[in-house]
Amino acid sequence: MRPSLFAAVAVVASLAAAGAQAQIRIGAILSISGPGAAMGVGYKGAFDFLPAEVAGQKIEYIVRDDATDAQTAYTIAQKLIAEDHVDAIIGPSLYSSDVAVQPLANDAHVPMIAMAPLVPVPEKFPYSFAVAQPLSLMVAAVFRHMQAAGVKTVGFIGFSDGWGDQVHAATVTAAAAGGIALVADERYARADTTVQAQALRLIALHPDAVMMGNSATPAVLPVVALRRLGYRGGIYGNHGIVSPAFIRVGGAPVDGVIADTSPVAVYDQLPDGNPIKPVASELMAAYTKKFGPASVNPFAGYSYDAMLLLANAIPAALKVAPPGTDAFRMALRDAMEHTHELVGVSGIYNMSATDHNGQDARAAVLVEVRHGEWTAIH
Amino acid sequence: MIRPAVLALAAALILPPLLPPFYVTLAAYVGLAAIVATGLVLLTGISGQTSFGQASFVGIAAYAAALLDGRPFTGLLAGLAAAGVVAWLLGFITARLSGHFLALCSVAWGLSFYSLFGTLPWLHGFNGIGGIAALPFAPGPRAGLAVVWAVVALGLWGAQNLLDSRSGRALRALNGARLMAESMGVDTVRLARGVFVLAALYAAAAGFLFAHVQRFISPTPFGLTASIEYLFMIILGGADRLAGALLGAVLVVVLRDALTDWVPRLTGAPGSYEAMAFSLLVIVMLHHAPRGVLSLLPQGRAAAPRPAAPPPPPPVQPIAAAGGEPVLLLDRISRRFGGLAANQDVSLAVHAGEIVALIGPNGAGKSTLFNIASGVLPPSAGSVRLFGRVLGALPARRRAALGLARTFQHVRLLQGETVRDNIALGAHLAGRAGMLRALLRLDRAEEARLRAAAEAAAARVGLADRLDTPAGDLPLGQQRIVEIARALCLTPRLLLLDEPAAGLRHLEKERLADLLRQLRASGMAVLLVEHDMGFVMRLADRVVVMDFGQTIAAGPPAQVRADPAVRDAYLGGVA
Amino acid sequence: MNLFVLLTLLQDGLTTGAIYLLLAVGLLIVFSVTRVIFVPQGDLLALAALTVAQLEAGSVPGTLWLLDALAVLAVLADLLAGSRWRALRWLPVPALVTLATLFGPRAAAWYAMPLGLAIITPFGPLLWRLVFRRAAGATMLTLLILAMALHFVLEGAGMVLFGPDGAATAPLTEAAFAVGPLTLSGQSLAVVGLCAALVALLRWFFGATIEGKALRAAASDRLGARLVGIDAARSGGLAFALAAFVAALSGVLIAALTPIGYDTGFAIGLKGFVAAIVGGLVSYPAAAAGAVLVGVLESLGSFWASAYRDVIVYALLVPVLLLLSWRGRRAGEET
Repeated sequence: MRPSLFAAVAVVASLAAAGAQAQIRIGAILSISGPGAAMGVGYKGAFDFLPAEVAGQKIEYIVRDDATDAQTAYTIAQKLIAEDHVDAIIGPSLYSSDVAVQPLANDAHVPMIAMAPLVPVPEKFPYSFAVAQPLSLMVAAVFRHMQAAGVKTVGFIGFSDGWGDQVHAATVTAAAAGGIALVADERYARADTTVQAQALRLIALHPDAVMMGNSATPAVLPVVALRRLGYRGGIYGNHGIVSPAFIRVGGAPVDGVIADTSPVAVYDQLPDGNPIKPVASELMAAYTKKFGPASVNPFAGYSYDAMLLLANAIPAALKVAPPGTDAFRMALRDAMEHTHELVGVSGIYNMSATDHNGQDARAAVLVEVRHGEWTAIH
Repeated sequence: MIRPAVLALAAALILPPLLPPFYVTLAAYVGLAAIVATGLVLLTGISGQTSFGQASFVGIAAYAAALLDGRPFTGLLAGLAAAGVVAWLLGFITARLSGHFLALCSVAWGLSFYSLFGTLPWLHGFNGIGGIAALPFAPGPRAGLAVVWAVVALGLWGAQNLLDSRSGRALRALNGARLMAESMGVDTVRLARGVFVLAALYAAAAGFLFAHVQRFISPTPFGLTASIEYLFMIILGGADRLAGALLGAVLVVVLRDALTDWVPRLTGAPGSYEAMAFSLLVIVMLHHAPRGVLSLLPQGRAAAPRPAAPPPPPPVQPIAAAGGEPVLLLDRISRRFGGLAANQDVSLAVHAGEIVALIGPNGAGKSTLFNIASGVLPPSAGSVRLFGRVLGALPARRRAALGLARTFQHVRLLQGETVRDNIALGAHLAGRAGMLRALLRLDRAEEARLRAAAEAAAARVGLADRLDTPAGDLPLGQQRIVEIARALCLTPRLLLLDEPAAGLRHLEKERLADLLRQLRASGMAVLLVEHDMGFVMRLADRVVVMDFGQTIAAGPPAQVRADPAVRDAYLGGVA
Repeated sequence: MNLFVLLTLLQDGLTTGAIYLLLAVGLLIVFSVTRVIFVPQGDLLALAALTVAQLEAGSVPGTLWLLDALAVLAVLADLLAGSRWRALRWLPVPALVTLATLFGPRAAAWYAMPLGLAIITPFGPLLWRLVFRRAAGATMLTLLILAMALHFVLEGAGMVLFGPDGAATAPLTEAAFAVGPLTLSGQSLAVVGLCAALVALLRWFFGATIEGKALRAAASDRLGARLVGIDAARSGGLAFALAAFVAALSGVLIAALTPIGYDTGFAIGLKGFVAAIVGGLVSYPAAAAGAVLVGVLESLGSFWASAYRDVIVYALLVPVLLLLSWRGRRAGEET
């Protein structure tokens, strides 16, 4: 910064502010409105159940909406870092926002915990972490089921947006790895009212199964269209569709749809020995009490886990420096990198200097719609 | 009033070292938006072409910059070139569309480009491209801010120059007065396309900066919603002035930022009410300032220094010898509208140094004949000879170039512009400077010449002391005189006047008659359609009387006055 | 592409085209009377679908309270504008609808659908009063921007009131008919049939009723209509009511075919706009042709190259626009 009167005043002001705040500030960037809203509601809902205090320090959460737009996320991140002096950022929950915000957070030494399936590259961005399972992990689980079911060819249908692109990329990889031929890539817009044409096209290619790269209630469209046109093969989805709303809107035709998801989405159906079960049950008991039984979703789990990671690292960081300082944030990052067997609701985390996600196969559960319920299958 | 370009330059110099870090980013966004909005003011506010697709051009250049990352100058040129070429091609279509067709067409390309940005495999899909390098020579955000605002200033300066030029006057006429502009010799289609390309280049410049300042791009900021937001800016700020672009960009970007901060604080529910609050504010602001917030501020209309005394009217240059071949010859003209014959076998000749008046009751077909002569309507049959040339479907613009000038029955002036600018529009063909020269202010010598011509024409018709008055502030009769002055600026050999004396007071009529006599003496040919019998009979050399689409009498005033057929046509209903 | 595929696509395109046509008709009515391009029509469509879905679930939809709030605002606006008892005219309909919702058998499908229409239709005149009437003299562009802003407001309201998830409503009929290799769903037939019936009804309305004739007069000559005593304010309100009704009906019809979310409406409304423009903003038969054209183009485009569908549809639209603009200029040339 160039020397100037204004800057000097700003420095004094920020010093004063740092003295007054004996608390940890955490910024959150979520896609609460816009096309990602259906998932954003889950991300936001969890904030009602995050701890108000960790290791004797008050936590202040500053939650902001990026309206599913990376440019907005970028601006918000600037403000959280430069104006609010946050110690860490939870999110963004949108992939492209993660990509946009990542360099900023790293330049400012602010640990950021991406909640979209971003694969962190610690060598390049040491302050970037991620809680969501990599899509490759999730889609691979789905493809294992396909292989077991004898599927040889699969057709893809997804959104013409970032989520569709990501699931498609993971599908390409998983199909190649599993020796399954990917025969179609059909797209539709989230706001479309019909996918009849795409469904016809898929059926004409006779794939053994269909993989969907979509999310929330608009994901119902291809299922209904395919079934109405008499398609009998398996229909697979991703965790973006795993919510009660999908079944409520889809009705009988969506029975039999199989998808990957986080353990938390079927917390009550996990086997009793699963360490995730008690953690997830505790969160979801409170969550469904507040938002209703139909509110269960995998996304709330990411916000929860992100804070869990931070809470786990905060005591160690506090020993190094007080909150609001560069040293505290660096210590926070270092401590998070040493996370070991931390049980969250979306999986179990083991971070290292080369892995800032730390999720493994325990984080992917398969579910199927049976009799109007998401049912875990093993 | 301080010029917006000066303000922007001041911002480029003052803001970067002063602002706290976050506001550096915000100010950069304001600047980027202001660049696009400046282009949009020229395109939509000034020349009346509504575009819901400006963000596409921002996107084209941003993607060019991202793909050519590492070679910024190539990226800049490629981005400008790509956006320019796309706009040039689209311009073939848009320049011919009007009103809501154009709006929808812009929606169409706006959505198409968004879809292409996300779908074309080599553009990296909907998740975008990260890790773009910072601006060369301006690596930090503060330097970036300075560059952005320097470009804002440059853009505003260019736009200001453009508006104060031959092309600028013609641009204003594109907005609802295309026919008039064509009659002054303006190639409106070409001009509309030109300003379309120019606005796209402004957007492209912003796109290049956007990619290097934010260092990450995805299709979202280049979609329809973003384009709508640019329109919000100019409408909120004030679409008809450049300062409106600047004010609008500040308003929208700052308001949005303030709302993302304050709405969650007030409601406790981030993400639910921000967009609603913003749009509600837009509605409320438009209710209170439908012409933009700028219109609420006290108006400091740039008052040019008034000349101490009006210069004496310049001597009239002789044009051509009287007599000889007719300047205008309408030969057995017929024109039908469906089953209705508006003109039937009408012939008429006007010679140099002659005033011919066309009279007749309402609906006699005078206006149709007038429009055929001026090139607005093609005849169904018959031929038009102008200056000895047989004209086929020669458009009004070309006729103006040949030496035909006209006025309009319903006055067509740019009401908000000064008398001087209105008249100078008539001198369009006397200049050659295009948009580029105007932008760079290389047209000053020529511009001075055109202004002098306008002032001379004003002096000739007795409006020298009203040069700086907005044309709309004059009484209707005087507005007609402005139209005549504008026509005179074309230095025509043939002048077509459509009811020039309507709305004039007695003295003004006398002055007009004097002027027309002077023009006749200089060898100009004048054809006028007029209702005021006394005026016509005193002035005209010959009178042609029409009724029911046909000529019923022609000859010197005295002879026509005595013609029983004429008496019948005018008095028949009464007798 | 075989015949079966082609026929299925055509059927699909025709069904969506019918919805676009309804919206186009609404836009045409509003535009011709008030010069407003009623962009938020699509949002009213979505609100209607979500309202009916919520009624069918047995709960009271938030749109009801929004309606009441708007009615109160309209009364206040009228009072501020100096009118007295007349300001109360905004109240009876919302009050009646509120009572019908709170005390009627709202979960019953036969009741929920008309009730949903009754809740959404008054939004038309209320929004017109609160948003557009003040700006009646503004430029067409300003009116368009106002409409855009209102779209964002209503979209936001939809999210707050109903949440981000989509909803489906009960179909009018579950029947399906086999015609050769095709299976026609009863709902699709009902959509096309109802749209046709409604357009016919509107024709009758404009041709045979006093109100309709007054609207037509107001559309063709605003000043003239006022001179013969047609209340411009009244005809504006009526036009918006018709548009809102048409939008609500479209929403209810389409929500049985496909889930409708708070943000689904804009895209549908945009296609209605496309159809209306193809109709030159004046002609109903041309708008119908435009609506079907857009629906079928979308369907075919989705089949050929689904990722590029929008590009295909809109690129094919451009020559049509060019043709229309040329023709329009010929016919309505300023002289």
